[in-house]
Amino acid sequence: MSLSGLRAVILGVVRYVLALGLFVMVWHAAALWVGKPNTLPQPAEVFVQAIDLVGSGELFGHVASTIRRLIAGFLIACAIGIPVGLAVGLSRSLAQYVTPLVEALRPISGIAWIPLALYALGVGEALPHFIIFYGAVFPVLVNTAGAVRQVDPGLLNAALTLGASRALIVRAIVLPACLPMIFVGARLGLGVGWMAVIASELIGAPSGLGYLIEWNRTMLMSSRVLVGVLTIGFLGYLMDWALRRTAFALTPWWTGWRQHG
Amino acid sequence: MAESNVASGQVRLAVLRGFSIPVVLLIVWQWLAPADASQTGIAPTPLGVLLGFWELTQSGELPRSLLQSLIRIASGFTIAFSLAVTAAVLVWLWRPVEYLLDPLIETFRPVAPIAWIPLAILWFGTGTWAAIFIVGYAVFFPSFVNTLAGLRAVDQRLIDAARTLGAGRWRIIRDLIIPGALPAIVLGARLGIGVGWAAIVAAEMTVGSKSGGGASGGIGQMMFIFLSYSLELRYIIVGMITVGIVALTIDAGFRRLERRLTPWAR
Repeated sequence: MSLSGLRAVILGVVRYVLALGLFVMVWHAAALWVGKPNTLPQPAEVFVQAIDLVGSGELFGHVASTIRRLIAGFLIACAIGIPVGLAVGLSRSLAQYVTPLVEALRPISGIAWIPLALYALGVGEALPHFIIFYGAVFPVLVNTAGAVRQVDPGLLNAALTLGASRALIVRAIVLPACLPMIFVGARLGLGVGWMAVIASELIGAPSGLGYLIEWNRTMLMSSRVLVGVLTIGFLGYLMDWALRRTAFALTPWWTGWRQHG
Repeated sequence: MAESNVASGQVRLAVLRGFSIPVVLLIVWQWLAPADASQTGIAPTPLGVLLGFWELTQSGELPRSLLQSLIRIASGFTIAFSLAVTAAVLVWLWRPVEYLLDPLIETFRPVAPIAWIPLAILWFGTGTWAAIFIVGYAVFFPSFVNTLAGLRAVDQRLIDAARTLGAGRWRIIRDLIIPGALPAIVLGARLGIGVGWAAIVAAEMTVGSKSGGGASGGIGQMMFIFLSYSLELRYIIVGMITVGIVALTIDAGFRRLERRLTPWAR
């Protein structure tokens, strides 16, 4: 890294710390002025509760169950969404069969399924998994199918002329060409899944970050609620970052990240 | 002549194929459900859901809840969108504002709006203001980010050229900056309100699931009350379909607005 680059990074960090410091001061003043720790706790109180929740291992346990659910639901969504998306993109008649059904179900957000799923599945592990899967599968499927249709027909025709088999074309041309858009879909799906897991834990799960914040609300422990909320933000950022890095590493040739990043 | 016949034949085939799976599913559903209904009286059927639409509209529950949710999302959107555009313009104009706001926005942006529901309930109670806060939080960040990106994407050379040619400040804003940034601004609004609609349903459901009724209303709460009190699954499905139709309508409306406001952007 060049010297000027290093300077820019340091300057950025300093600005970030200053701005956040100012925010914390305003928050502290507001908390003093409101004077109701059950409603607006002081920053120091939130910090103390954060240490307590981390130290007792309680936070980690909730994070672990939320992340486990999210990853499982998300992987199921990818395992179904990507192959179906590829098939729909490759076969026009299949697309004609499937598209209307997908377009009819897609606008109903996963969250709207919670009451019905709560009745069918009950409070427990199945509910968040289903809601995450439902929320994530459509972005993955639709983006995959769209990616297949955007594959350069010149490449396909060239491969056909050279006598490549259908399987080879899919493996050597379609898949690599689609990979960037599949990642865009996966990123969208993970974002929707993240909302879905928190929502389903708020309403119907006995553990996880959503449960943590809702439980502490009923206990009027708003400092603990804030710890949960900030953890949710931090994890959301971390996951998006990780997926972006993975996508960047796997599809280094793609320049479209600027548009979709 | 023959060609158009072939084309219309293909369209007919596509429509036929498109309807086939949903129709088969609906028939199977209708055919399987009654066996269960005779025992519990709650198993929903497609016809029962249709009837449920009629009943809930007659009783006024569906229009009332829907209207309440729509008013909430409209007010939350209006407040948050105005704030977001103002903040983006300020950040775009003045460096110090950027240094101050950018870290805060980057810190709070990744927090899912749904995660604020418990705090919103603590701060604003279980009524309309909590819902407006959640919608506003969902709308603010996409609107801000896209407005700023749109403003920054306006070609500086065009502004310089216009200035050289003697265009006034107001003229540059009207003819260059607003048209240049508008596509991104409308896109941000569309993304934001989409998340906002999902979030408000979640907020109303959380309230419905915890407060045991009350006066807060909204379509999410309506659905949850049918789960907790009367176990009318048909009505829950009516609510789900309504949520989907509203999402679709809002999205289509904004896409249309995009095309009308910015016909030059593809």
